[in-house]
Amino acid sequence: MADQGRNGEKCGPRAIILARLLRLLCEEGILEPSRKSPVVRFQHPDKLQEILSLEPEAQGVHMNEILHLCHDIVKYSVQTCHPHFKNQLYGGIDPYGLAGAWLAEALNTNIHTYEVAPVFVLVECAVLRHVLNIAGFPNGDGIFAPGGSMSNMYGMVLARYKAVPDSKMKGLSGLPPLVAFTSEDGHYSVKKAAHWLGIGTENVVAVKTDSHGRMMPSRLTCCIQQAIAEGKKPFFVSATAGTTVLGAFDPLEQIADICHQYGLWLHVDACWGGTLMLSKKHCHCLKGLERADSVAWNPHKMLGAPLQCALFLTKEKGLMHHCNSASASYLFQQDKFYDVSFDTGDKSVQCGRKVDAFKLWLMWKAHGSNGFESLINNAMDASRYFKEAIQVQPGFRLVLDEFECTNVCFWFIPPSLRGQEENDEWWNKIHTVAPKIKERLILSGTLMIGYQPLPHKGLRNFFRFVTSCHPPPTYADMDHVWQEIERLGADLW
Amino acid sequence: MGEDWFCSVPNEALHGEFLHDVMELVLKEAVFAGTQRKNPVVRWHDPDHLCDLLNLTPAEKPATHAELLRVIHDTITFSVKTGHPYFINQLFSSVDPYGLAGQWVTDALNPSVYTYEVAPVFTLMEAAVLEEMCHMVGFPFGDGLFCPGGSFANGTAINLARFKYFPDIKRDGLGCAPKLVLFASEDCHYSVQKMAALLGLGEQNVCLVQTDKAGRMDPLHLESQVQRITAIGGAPFMVVATAGTTVLGAFDPLPAIADVCTKYKLWFHVDAAWGGGILFSPMHRHKLTGLDRADSVVWNPHKLLAAPQQCSVLLVRHPEIIKACHACNATYLFQKDKFYDVSFDSGDKYLQCGRKADVFKFWLMWKAKGSLGFEHHVNALMDCASYIKTALQQRPHFKLVLEPEFINVCFWYVPPSLQGLQEQPDFNEKLHKVAPHMKELMMRKGTMMISYQPLQNLPNFFRFVVQNSGVTHQDVDYFLDELDHLGADL
Repeated sequence: MADQGRNGEKCGPRAIILARLLRLLCEEGILEPSRKSPVVRFQHPDKLQEILSLEPEAQGVHMNEILHLCHDIVKYSVQTCHPHFKNQLYGGIDPYGLAGAWLAEALNTNIHTYEVAPVFVLVECAVLRHVLNIAGFPNGDGIFAPGGSMSNMYGMVLARYKAVPDSKMKGLSGLPPLVAFTSEDGHYSVKKAAHWLGIGTENVVAVKTDSHGRMMPSRLTCCIQQAIAEGKKPFFVSATAGTTVLGAFDPLEQIADICHQYGLWLHVDACWGGTLMLSKKHCHCLKGLERADSVAWNPHKMLGAPLQCALFLTKEKGLMHHCNSASASYLFQQDKFYDVSFDTGDKSVQCGRKVDAFKLWLMWKAHGSNGFESLINNAMDASRYFKEAIQVQPGFRLVLDEFECTNVCFWFIPPSLRGQEENDEWWNKIHTVAPKIKERLILSGTLMIGYQPLPHKGLRNFFRFVTSCHPPPTYADMDHVWQEIERLGADLW
Repeated sequence: MGEDWFCSVPNEALHGEFLHDVMELVLKEAVFAGTQRKNPVVRWHDPDHLCDLLNLTPAEKPATHAELLRVIHDTITFSVKTGHPYFINQLFSSVDPYGLAGQWVTDALNPSVYTYEVAPVFTLMEAAVLEEMCHMVGFPFGDGLFCPGGSFANGTAINLARFKYFPDIKRDGLGCAPKLVLFASEDCHYSVQKMAALLGLGEQNVCLVQTDKAGRMDPLHLESQVQRITAIGGAPFMVVATAGTTVLGAFDPLPAIADVCTKYKLWFHVDAAWGGGILFSPMHRHKLTGLDRADSVVWNPHKLLAAPQQCSVLLVRHPEIIKACHACNATYLFQKDKFYDVSFDSGDKYLQCGRKADVFKFWLMWKAKGSLGFEHHVNALMDCASYIKTALQQRPHFKLVLEPEFINVCFWYVPPSLQGLQEQPDFNEKLHKVAPHMKELMMRKGTMMISYQPLQNLPNFFRFVVQNSGVTHQDVDYFLDELDHLGADL
């Protein structure tokens, strides 16, 4: 490539590799996997290491070899666009989102200043403004973060700055401990954030949830009072709108009342459930969101924007900048010839930052808010159908009688274990059922679905069905899920 | 269950032609035309005007494919062409074709690299690449992390260092800990301060060490600062050395700093985000002598090696620390009863949960070019820097700020109107206004983009940097001619 310089304009190899790669993606059906094709061609790690020649080498290889390698990489990767990929809180991607992502990659820029990313800075501003209005923060601010864990951390650092403004300069040494609260079903990123921010994982209090996995406001009040009695300083509550496993929505109005009473920052982790705010039918789950001080929402989850696409929103304009800015003179010069308020990078904790807003913006242009609403309603309807379908199937037992979001959690009880006494030994056997069925599902490639225990509720391994908007789930897809589990679990124990 | 028009599954009848049209447009306008010398680097508009030109507000109703293609076309038209040979504005640039191919495949597969289960290929690929990078840096048994940018990589290093010496902070917070202090050169990247603030250490507990005339950290001053902080009750725990500072491109003297760290038992971190790529060149890698004594190193392939954003790596000598520091053992994701070897589930080493696969674009470039290809790439960049330094020294209106040691060549343009007026008291004040004015002119014309900044008391100067190995000596002549042209009438 060193002699490309002479003929910079003649880009033969550049044209060919990109065009042939596109053909490869189409031929392999990556973007539209057939239901008959496997979700994954699973190989154990040591075998896969043998199949793929992964070690970097001294010599470069020919373009045909490159394409061959790409073919293998695609072949052995999980087809996350497959209708039967139900393993995570994200699924297939929106084609307009992908087009937008590819375009942003081809323009390869950083979104710290208007100077190097004029269009994308304006796009980010437009999207944030629109979402802030929907969330109920008309005078707010926001940013795209590298994932929901970081968005939660942004909320915590703003809360810390509000509670102890000197902490930015002086740090936390010598201060009484700050205490954060989240539900026992809250995402673990709150704990990781508390570690990073010097607050300490012990100072994250896990508030008990009710039988449906929702934070109990009365317990929150007790926990806050106890922390105060111990001489600590409560400062932050992270309520969850759509918990990871059960999909529960914490009661935001009541939690907001408590935060107001005790002067605490209310952050809402709506990474998963926040998408419902785009549906008139389902946005009631987020009642009270506008009373929060900050919100995290990931369009790369249910809505199908390509990874990563994670928003952080906050009610008070300017606070992010005060909290995070460092005013680096080599980047944020104040003597530039344009309005430097468009150099938005200094409110971030990152320097270089990817263009994540454009793919969402292009999806929004393509679908319109109406289109998003239809997609979401469809996904929620599919989940409702799934729950009703398994309720009448022998051997399927729901973990909860009612679910929120698209999460439907259930046990599969193999025929040989039905009708038996449900003692400890029985539950130990049930605990092994989901991992075994999962193994069979992956090796057959017909379905990927998650399972986990919920130790703090004493629940042994159960399946967590979730669906996102993409590809739009059909009733037949829902039936496929329980039928496969039934088929592969029939002879267990 | 609903109409098809809003459905987000790629449907060949509905989307096939559209996606092909988009790709043709992207290739034609962004990748190829956008990087040709005869086309502008940027078609500049002020923010308000650009807002008017683009119809940005999300709407209720969907747009047609024709309208979408138009907005995509406009997006490309008004975006800066960072792959253009005349874009030398930042510590990143280029549109590497193999990197881009790798990035597109990654996007199409849309994996999140927390578990082997969901991302088998990329999990293994990360391990292979990190192993090789550790080997190059001199960490025989090390490990690493792909981070969302060098700022987070620096922050992770600070967190690991803090954990090494005061592991209880993870659990108990900083309240009971002594006042931790870290040291970095006054020319360090500002992420050190931002991350110190974020991590609860406080910006003012980053003790800035003086640099010499070449912009390199002064190890004697470092030692005196460590002693001073200790004497007043602070707890030094870490030194951040920089291998390739942002503005001047200086390399801190790593062996001498390593000696101080060994003597006072401090974590030795090297921010080689910019300079790390030089390891590929046997001719130039001596600048990083001493790197193998570090505890951790940041290296951003998306800078010198021109991988697409983002591609940033933190390498750590002590692999066991990473998991001990970061792990949370979430039972819904890192189950221990999976049917495969779960030591391959790397996600709990990370602060992030969901994480983009940033390895493939770099790995594919490495496959395509081999280490030899990267060596040629780095040598070409260094040659370019050497050429511009010689060339501008032969021109009357250009004055070096200092002798460059890396790719950064910093210089003033002294316009004809200011020639010979160096002794006047307001000379610096006038010179300070020259670069911003010339920058405005070049942006409005779209002929090139080069950055300027002040440094301490020095008036604004230009900083030449390059990462695009397609930039030639003729291009360098063009830069200098264009600057002469822009500055002639000031």
